[in-house]
Amino acid sequence: MRFQLALALLAVVGSARAEELTIALRVQAEGFQPATIAAPAGARIRLEVSNETATPIEFESFELNRERVVPAGQKATVYLSGLSAGSYEFFDDFNQKRRGVLTVE
Amino acid sequence: MLETLLITWRETLEAALVVGILLTYVARSGQRRALRYVWLGSAAAVVAALICASASGGAMALLGGETQEVVQALIVFGAVGVLSWMIVWMHRSSHSIQGNLHRQADSALATGRLIGLAAIAFVAVFREGVETMLFLWGVVVQRGMQLATMPLVGAGLVGAGLAVATAWLFFRGFSFLSLRTFFRTTGVLLLLVAAGLLTSGVNKLIGLGYLPPLVPQVWNTSWLVRDGSPLGALLGALVGYRSRPSLLEVLAFAFYFPPMLWALNHAETATRAAGLGDESARPAA
Repeated sequence: MRFQLALALLAVVGSARAEELTIALRVQAEGFQPATIAAPAGARIRLEVSNETATPIEFESFELNRERVVPAGQKATVYLSGLSAGSYEFFDDFNQKRRGVLTVE
Repeated sequence: MLETLLITWRETLEAALVVGILLTYVARSGQRRALRYVWLGSAAAVVAALICASASGGAMALLGGETQEVVQALIVFGAVGVLSWMIVWMHRSSHSIQGNLHRQADSALATGRLIGLAAIAFVAVFREGVETMLFLWGVVVQRGMQLATMPLVGAGLVGAGLAVATAWLFFRGFSFLSLRTFFRTTGVLLLLVAAGLLTSGVNKLIGLGYLPPLVPQVWNTSWLVRDGSPLGALLGALVGYRSRPSLLEVLAFAFYFPPMLWALNHAETATRAAGLGDESARPAA
């Protein structure tokens, strides 16, 4: 009962999503493609991370306070909103040579 | 190689600490039989994590990445519920152990509580286990199944072993505490772990776009403790530390305590009342 209630609540909150800006971010063996992405301050961002490598990756950013495991060949959407101007670094926690920056202005 | 070791150390630490708290608690309160349940829950989680990690391309993909994440968040919330319930009864039974009342009755834990212990150990190990396995699996696939890969996998396993050692050292320090202080300390630690778990579930739902962060970054303490540092990892594992939390996460953490403190206080007075009732009932009978 409580479980269904929680699901219903999630659905309601989920449907109230605002206008979104979608940014595609591909993860390839050499690194993030593109390694630098940009967005306006305050926007609601859908960051679509597609893992094009043969192994799982973990999109992680201390500065954005996000982490998400993406299995090989799959795509995951990471939501960001209300960011103030600045640059936010992100990396693949499973292969930390892969790094990138989100510039918000 | 050092990177591999550090990653598995970080991933395994949280699970090791939670299982460590449960084991020390159960051992010190003399409920030896319950130890087996904690180990059983942990072992089952390792097996389940192995299965999930190896099936992540096939069966798990059918579920869809986002559904998986939502399910994980719901499991975390479920774990917070079970953990909170356990904190309350642990608090109650620690009182009776200290007062030497009901010792017999308490030494045989009810089945529900044993399953609760196993469930918490399971969730703690499973959560981190899947990630660790996926990571190590990735290392093997990336380098190929060859002799040169083995040191890397070895480093990963050493990292996991070191996490268990870290947790063990952490709890060695506890053995010098008196029973009273010990129960107090583990009680407070478990409350912080539960609040941290709740916060991490909320963080997941924010990342999935189901909850608004309200304010994306309330403060920034990365100058004091960096998220990736060993101290940051330890605090992250224990209390869900993040250097740049959103307002919703801070609120979730803060609002966990008032109802729990009320429930603990209530449990304490109820135990006292029951204890007195017993004492006065005995001579009459």
